[in-house]
Amino acid sequence: MMSIKMKSGVLKRMRNLLKSSLFWILILSLAVLTACTNSDSNTNDEKSNEDKPGTDETAGKVSIEFWHAMSGTGQESLDAIVEGFNESQDKYEVKAEFQGTYEESLTKLRSVGGTKDAPAITQVFEVGTKYMIDSGYIEPVQSFIDKDNFDLSTLEQNILNYYKVDGELYSMPFNSSTPVMIYNKTAFEKAGLDPEKAPETFSEVIATAEKLKTDDMFGFSMLTYGWFFEQLVATQGGLYVNEDNGRSGDATEALFNGPEGLNVFNFLDTMNKAGTFGNFGTNWDDIRAAFASQKVAMYMDSSAGVAGAIANAPFDVGVAYIPYADEVQRNGVVIGGASLWMSKGIAENEQEAAWEFMKYMTTPEVQAKWHLDTGYFAINPKAYDEENVKEKWAEFPQFKVTVEQLQDTVPGIATQGALISVFPESRQQIVTALEDLYQGADPQEVLDQAAEGTNRAMEIANKTKK
Amino acid sequence: MTISLPKKIWIYFLLTVTSLLVFFPVLYAFMISFMTGPEILQGKFFPQSFSLDNYFKVFDRLPLVKYLVNSFVVSVGVMFGQLLVCSLAAYAFVFMPFKGRDFIFFVFISTMMIPWEATMIPNFFTIQKLDWLNTYQGLTIPFFALAFGTFLLRQHFKTIPKELHEASQIAGLSRFAFFWRVILPVSKTSLVTLGAYGFLTTWNMYLWPLLITTNSSVRTVQIGLKQLQSQEMSTDWGVVMAGVIVVIIPTLLLLFLGQKQLQKGLSQGALK
Amino acid sequence: MNTHVKPGIWRRTGNARTAFLYLLPSVILFSVFVFYPMFRTIYLSFFLTNQNGEAALHVGFENFAYLLESSAFLNSMKATVLFVLYTVPIGIIIALFFALLANEKLKGIGFFRTVYSSTMGISVAASSVIWLFLFHPSVGVFNRVLSVLNFPQIQWLLDPEWALISVSISTIWMNTGFSFLILLGGLQNIDEHLYESSRIDGAGYFYRLRRITIPMLSPTLFFIITISLINAFQSFGQIDILTKGGPSQSTNLIVYSIYREAFINYQFGTASAQAVILFIIILIVTILQFKFGERKVHYQ
Repeated sequence: MMSIKMKSGVLKRMRNLLKSSLFWILILSLAVLTACTNSDSNTNDEKSNEDKPGTDETAGKVSIEFWHAMSGTGQESLDAIVEGFNESQDKYEVKAEFQGTYEESLTKLRSVGGTKDAPAITQVFEVGTKYMIDSGYIEPVQSFIDKDNFDLSTLEQNILNYYKVDGELYSMPFNSSTPVMIYNKTAFEKAGLDPEKAPETFSEVIATAEKLKTDDMFGFSMLTYGWFFEQLVATQGGLYVNEDNGRSGDATEALFNGPEGLNVFNFLDTMNKAGTFGNFGTNWDDIRAAFASQKVAMYMDSSAGVAGAIANAPFDVGVAYIPYADEVQRNGVVIGGASLWMSKGIAENEQEAAWEFMKYMTTPEVQAKWHLDTGYFAINPKAYDEENVKEKWAEFPQFKVTVEQLQDTVPGIATQGALISVFPESRQQIVTALEDLYQGADPQEVLDQAAEGTNRAMEIANKTKK
Repeated sequence: MTISLPKKIWIYFLLTVTSLLVFFPVLYAFMISFMTGPEILQGKFFPQSFSLDNYFKVFDRLPLVKYLVNSFVVSVGVMFGQLLVCSLAAYAFVFMPFKGRDFIFFVFISTMMIPWEATMIPNFFTIQKLDWLNTYQGLTIPFFALAFGTFLLRQHFKTIPKELHEASQIAGLSRFAFFWRVILPVSKTSLVTLGAYGFLTTWNMYLWPLLITTNSSVRTVQIGLKQLQSQEMSTDWGVVMAGVIVVIIPTLLLLFLGQKQLQKGLSQGALK
Repeated sequence: MNTHVKPGIWRRTGNARTAFLYLLPSVILFSVFVFYPMFRTIYLSFFLTNQNGEAALHVGFENFAYLLESSAFLNSMKATVLFVLYTVPIGIIIALFFALLANEKLKGIGFFRTVYSSTMGISVAASSVIWLFLFHPSVGVFNRVLSVLNFPQIQWLLDPEWALISVSISTIWMNTGFSFLILLGGLQNIDEHLYESSRIDGAGYFYRLRRITIPMLSPTLFFIITISLINAFQSFGQIDILTKGGPSQSTNLIVYSIYREAFINYQFGTASAQAVILFIIILIVTILQFKFGERKVHYQ
């Protein structure tokens, strides 16, 4: 045991030692505190500006927030477009703010919807359409279209069809894409195939994949993503859910495990069992890298990925329509992507600002820029007459295929796309079903499981609906 | 004491090989950050040239400096908040015997087991009600109380000889003075460890900062990283990797510079 | 000790009152940001929630019954347990190995220590992006090396047999830095004299490791095992970036499954029920660990 004398000695030494470090701790904490308060007041200043738009007195502008989920190239282009809008007039100012992926952004919106933290405009993915309409947080753009006598016929009808519910347009379509089949022309030549003639039906694709398969290269691949499955069902005229794809009422039962869905799963299963199908997972970039590094000769991609595929491939790239089952007519594609929603319950001048911005977004010039930067469709077909688009098309005729496929689409319930509030969950069920299929499970069995999961999700959603 | 030469060589060999293995992923990311799209897809390891294009693009696309500053402020804030709150609690647990202490300590520890993802959405509503969206408070204060930190400091305080406490009472130090002027200084080691831990985990947070910020005024760098990756369009991996490098350099630098201090702190350890 | 006065009742409650003051900041923060949401979670786990996440339909234990019957959830539990078993022991052994190496007093050891601890400075988001590339099926380094060595290629993240292992490898890498630093600190606290006297006795390296190092390191080991276990149960970021729970649900750890239910499917009821089950599991594991682990810990 230590003596008391020794202990006080220890204490004294400690105190001395401490003085210096204590001093530093104090200084540091002070510094942090001041830094915090300073920045807090800064943010509060900024915040109060954003919270109460329309009170930006210095400039006298109405300022609104626009939440989006565009990252990477999309964000770059979008920021430029928003800047263009802000400079084009002096009444409104739009602030574009990235909010994470579509899901993350929607989660946030669900939480702030109807409060003062809600933005004037939000970009929501296509499968969130049903939720948004039911949410009660939004002002249908149709009311502004009517008020302003805005001519909707200038916009692409096949895109509008998706977002129109009961003849009313709830949101302004924005970034829109469809699936396409992209293939390696050079590989086609090597296999003795005509590079200008891509296979069109399931059985043709199966046969072509067989011929293209080498030790290093798979014949065909598809991203493990529910969207592509939906498309392959729709192009056969098949429905995803009952109640006319959920458009005449709340859907209660999944139909995608019917004959059309089974056709798709059998199509994939045949190639998978024959070893001509390459599985590159759920990541967009992985499957594209596989194509660019010649690990797969044909694959399904989004029309927004065409530009990247051409730029990164050290060979000739062909773009074709998505395949369909042999025994049916081709119906075409369903639109994918996202649209812009206007919030309800915000100041009138903010809604006007939002409407002005939406109108600006539909102009041919903006749409031409957007189309060229990102590969998404122009929602205003006049954009395709712009000089810069024509030039690009002349250089890359592949782009044209994507637009033609959309315009060739037969309008109908199937190609209008399904409307269910639990779509994200259903897509996960499909992903799992596809993954199980690639592991050798029975096509009908995994499809039925996915349908069952979707049914349960829809049942809960309908049960808990207000 | 000396180490024999063959043993030395053997140790150096092991050190070198394992270090290379550990550091390889970072090195690889560094190499990719100089590559162009097609180069990356060809799966090369060395870039054709060390051009800084990707780095320019990163800084061009994002307000990265602002994000870095925000990350720094938030991380330092959480660090000090945690040190204070946790050391106060740990002090009470070790030096103030009271009824039910073990139970309360266990309740504290149990908070470690609650998955953060499960509490995130209610917390979001709390922050929104406090009007703390887009503020530093919202980013920092929820993390001040940390069971892990309390646990760490308690383990350390336990090794402090009881005699010291008694001596301090004889010397007439108040409870707080004893805590502030004796306990904290002799626990520098654990405080440094906890500080580093707090700083780094906060620096690395992603989902929470994304949720409670709606504009870039207080956003942190990890969100920037996400913004560089596209969803449906093709991602420019060279730029993403340049972003990764920019994001990890400050923390690596901190580890590198703080290594000596951290090491010293750790080695001083418990009073013997 | 003579100065020790028998404490009166005032003094005793005084302790409790002062202690409460010191604990107050933690108590407030925990109540607001941990316990309140936790109780809310427990509450919600007995409900089905509507599309806005509000409790809409009281269903009693139906959410739990559904989960315990659902093969997806059982699979998730299995994956979580496997993940913990893959990452915790191996991660700690590797970190201990590094710490022992870096504890040798050699020239330039500081450099190696920095390298070993470096992964602590790299965020989960950043490291997952890097590992995504390393695992890449067509351009990734691992498959390139395999093909150079003429081994068959591995579908690291796409083959359900491999995905969990791949995610575990990257997780071990991410956690090494932190465990290493803690263990190195522990090693350096061990009294040199203990080794010197054993050296005189002529004890070999492994004997010393077993008889001196490990026992003396046990508090640190106990600490790092506790932390690693809890961290492993709560791993999320790497799953989100590397696999999103796939392929065939093989990496759908419970925390990720909770995130998916809550954030994407917006089913707070089932998400909450999963969170409650996860909490109970971690609680049991921790109690067991404290019960059996702390007994073996050797406090100096």
